[in-house]
This record gives sequence, structure tokens and C-alpha cells, in this order.
Amino acid sequence: MQKEKLTVLTNPRLEEAAAAIEKAFTQRKTLIVAGKCRVRYAGRANSTLEPGERILIIKEDGSLLVHRPVGYEPVNWQPSGSVFHVHTKADAVEVHAVRQKPRESVIVTFSEIFMVSILSLMDFGEFALYASEEDMHRAILLKPSLLEEGFTPISYEKKVEPGFVDVYGIDKNGKLVVVEVKRRTASKEAVLQLVKYIDAIKGKADRELRGVLVAPAIGKDVQRMLATLGLEFKALDPKKCAQILRKAETAKLEDFFKQ
Amino acid sequence: MFKLKVSDAKLLRDMVTAISILVDEATFKIEPEGLKLRAMDPSRVAMIDFEWPKTVFEEYVCEAPSKMCINISELLRLLKRAGKDEAVELSLDEKTGRLQIKITGKYSRNFNMPTLEASEEEVPTPKITFNVKAKATTQGLSQAIEDAQLVSDHVRIEADTEKLVLNATGDLMGATITLQKGSDALLDLEVKENSKATFSLSYLAEIIKAASATSDIATLEFSTDMPIKIDFQQTKEGKLTFFLAPRIESE
Repeated sequence: MQKEKLTVLTNPRLEEAAAAIEKAFTQRKTLIVAGKCRVRYAGRANSTLEPGERILIIKEDGSLLVHRPVGYEPVNWQPSGSVFHVHTKADAVEVHAVRQKPRESVIVTFSEIFMVSILSLMDFGEFALYASEEDMHRAILLKPSLLEEGFTPISYEKKVEPGFVDVYGIDKNGKLVVVEVKRRTASKEAVLQLVKYIDAIKGKADRELRGVLVAPAIGKDVQRMLATLGLEFKALDPKKCAQILRKAETAKLEDFFKQ
Repeated sequence: MFKLKVSDAKLLRDMVTAISILVDEATFKIEPEGLKLRAMDPSRVAMIDFEWPKTVFEEYVCEAPSKMCINISELLRLLKRAGKDEAVELSLDEKTGRLQIKITGKYSRNFNMPTLEASEEEVPTPKITFNVKAKATTQGLSQAIEDAQLVSDHVRIEADTEKLVLNATGDLMGATITLQKGSDALLDLEVKENSKATFSLSYLAEIIKAASATSDIATLEFSTDMPIKIDFQQTKEGKLTFFLAPRIESE
């Protein structure tokens, strides 16, 4: 027997909808309900959301999201592992989502339901994300030639008031190199940040200093500003960094500090 | 006030060489009981845990605990100037913040170098339950690593109750190196659970090569897909231990 992929009820009566929702819970399916509802949350704080037309999503792992018609973030949510109940009242359907630890509950009270859909979704695909700024640091550490030939990193996220230097090392001529990494087109703010670090380190360094701004691209005026300040730019694509990290999949020791 | 003296420069030089494998700027903890260092390499894959009690030194003076950060490769350049039986004295000039290095033998040399801003980072110990504990000679170990390096840049280390096996697979060639329990290379082997983990050979080779100068016997501890701990037994008192994170085998 082929597994049913999809059940959709449009404008169901409340008791029909409640029965379908109940069934979705027992079968651990993904559930989408659109309707007019009120939401109450009690737990670390308390909140009430006045009635409005919204979308409720409950996923098969027991996570819950309530979306308004605008905005990408849910207005209410519960992480996975919540336990669900449906209560049918005279003029409403209540969905309760309760989490034990910490004790939190979300109650969604529907006075009208426009649609209920129950889905059996299969998803084994991998999620590939292009490198974050930190991944770009790691890629430079793993393959310093990304920055330039002969570069030797010494430290990363080195604390230098007023913040942290992304990567810090020595070039082939023995000069100190301070590297600021951006994953988007380099802005004037990025240049100023680099200048601040250079100034902070200058006082303490025992050798010549270079500043390099690493980013996928740079604006013309920003490039001019960089040159005026005697700093350099190096183009580096986050996608390329992601590829390097995939090849070198060595774990970090920090992953094993807590357990 | 901080001052230490060793009668044989080699001891200090070998230890500083071992540290230089992982760190370029090293923050030492100077304590009344001795000298300590614990640091990770810049890519945070490996860690060194080093301790030298004051009894190792011919002379050791530390009045109050403090920290000192120095450029290790620069210090090593200076220490290399000292011959085998020459004495080395390190002292910190508190007024100038500079480290004084005095080498005495056939003639005497006084170097000085700047100290750097000490790192505030406290490196914890990885929390791992080890299922394998193997005691090997550093000589046997470095040869096995050299064998594996001929074919690959990483090696899988496996252990069962009888043997320790190093498996290297390169693009074209492969190697299997077996160390039997009780052999000249593998002195002892305790296995709670058969385990295997893969490590970068360049890190392993550098660590073992540098630490071999200070030690004849190494104790390896590991578990499946967990970091390996390599403890190099010191001829005098003291501790030299490395941790190295595994490569996670994904497709």
C-alpha cells in the first residue's frame, strides 16, 4: 500500500479539522494549519497574541511555529520534542504544545480554520552553506597560501583592544601581517577596523607591520582609501574557502573540551 | 623576579624545539613550583601541555606567579648558539620587560629579547574517555610514522588487544604497519574496546620527531574518532604531552 503523501482539508468544520490534526499527531506527520487564532505562551515569560489570521506549522520532530502573514520569523515557536494535544471546544479548536524541560507551553486557539494539510515528507538532502567569516579564517589557517605565498599564521581571533584580530601572522620577509576578513564586499568600516588593530599592535610589535583586508570584492573608493593608508587588499571568495574546508575535514580540539 | 639556569643547553633547546612545533608565541606560566605552558596551535588542531618542575633546573627563582610571552622561534635561534655542555641562564628584566639569555661555556654571551603581551586564554584539557593505551618507543613510533608518510598525508591508527596497526592510504599507494604487543617497538598495550581514529601525518611526524629528542618512551591514548593524547616520558622530571584532533572520515 502506498503511503499517503498528502491530505488537505479546505474550509473544514472545526470538529473535522480537530480529528485530522489529532491523526497527524499520532502518526507524527508534518502539519500545516491556516486559520484565525489566538496564541498564549507560558514558560520563561508569558505572552498573548491577539486573534488574527495565521499559519501554524508542526513538524514531525515535534517542533512548532506560528507565522503571521508577514515577516520571516515565527511569532511563537517551540523547539522539537514538544508533546501535543487537541481539545475541541464549542466554538474553537485548541492545540496545546507542552515541553517538559524547561516547562513551557504554547496554546493556539483557532476560532476558524481555512485549511489543514497533513504531509509525509522525505528529506535526506544535505545542506551546503557557503563559508562564514569564521570558515574563511579557518581556510586561511589551513592553507595560508590563500593569502599569499610564504605566509605563516601565528594566531587567530587574537585579542587586541578594541576587539579581535581575525588572523595574524608573518610574511616571507618576516614582517607581521594583520588580516581582517570580510565575507561581503569590503566597506570603509572594515578599513577603519583594520586601522584600529594596526594602531593597537604597532606599539607592541617588534617588527614591521602590514595590514591586509581580505574580502570577495572591494569598492573603488574603498580601495583608494586603503592605498592611502598604506594597507593592502586581497580578494578571496568564500566559496573557495568552503571547498578547502571540505577537503580538510580535521576536527578542532575545542570540539572535545566539553562533553 | 624570575630566573632559571640549566647546566646543559641541550635540555632547554630540545624542549623549546618541541614547543616551537605548535606555537610561535608562547605564554609561559611562571610559578614558584616551576614552569608551565599549555597552548593550541593556530589552527586549533593540536595542543601542547608542558610542565617543568623547579627541580629540573640547576637554579630556579620565582618569587611571585606571573606570565611571560615570548617568540619561540626567535628564542630558539639564540639557544642554537649554545653548545652541548654550555650553561644557559634565562632571566626577566622587570624594568625593561626584556628576557635576558646568558650562555656560558668557552666564552660568555648575553642576549636579550623583548617579551610580548601574555595571552589570557586558558586552554582546558579535552575531556575524553580513552579505550586504548599503548606504550611505545619513540624510535619505533617515528619510524612507523615515516613509513606511513611515504604513501599518504594522513594515517588511521587502529588497536585491538594484540596489536597496534597504522593504515595509510594515498592516491596511488597504501601502507599497513603493524606493531605487535610485546615487540621491541610496542612495549605495552591495554585495550578496553577496539578503536580507530585518523590523524594528520604532518602533525604526528613533527610532534614525534621533536619530542623524541627529549624522550625515549611515549604513551599513546585514543578512542574511536577522538583526539589522541601522546605523553612523552621525560628523562628528568617534567611533563610533555600533546593532544591532536582526529580527521573525521566523511565521504
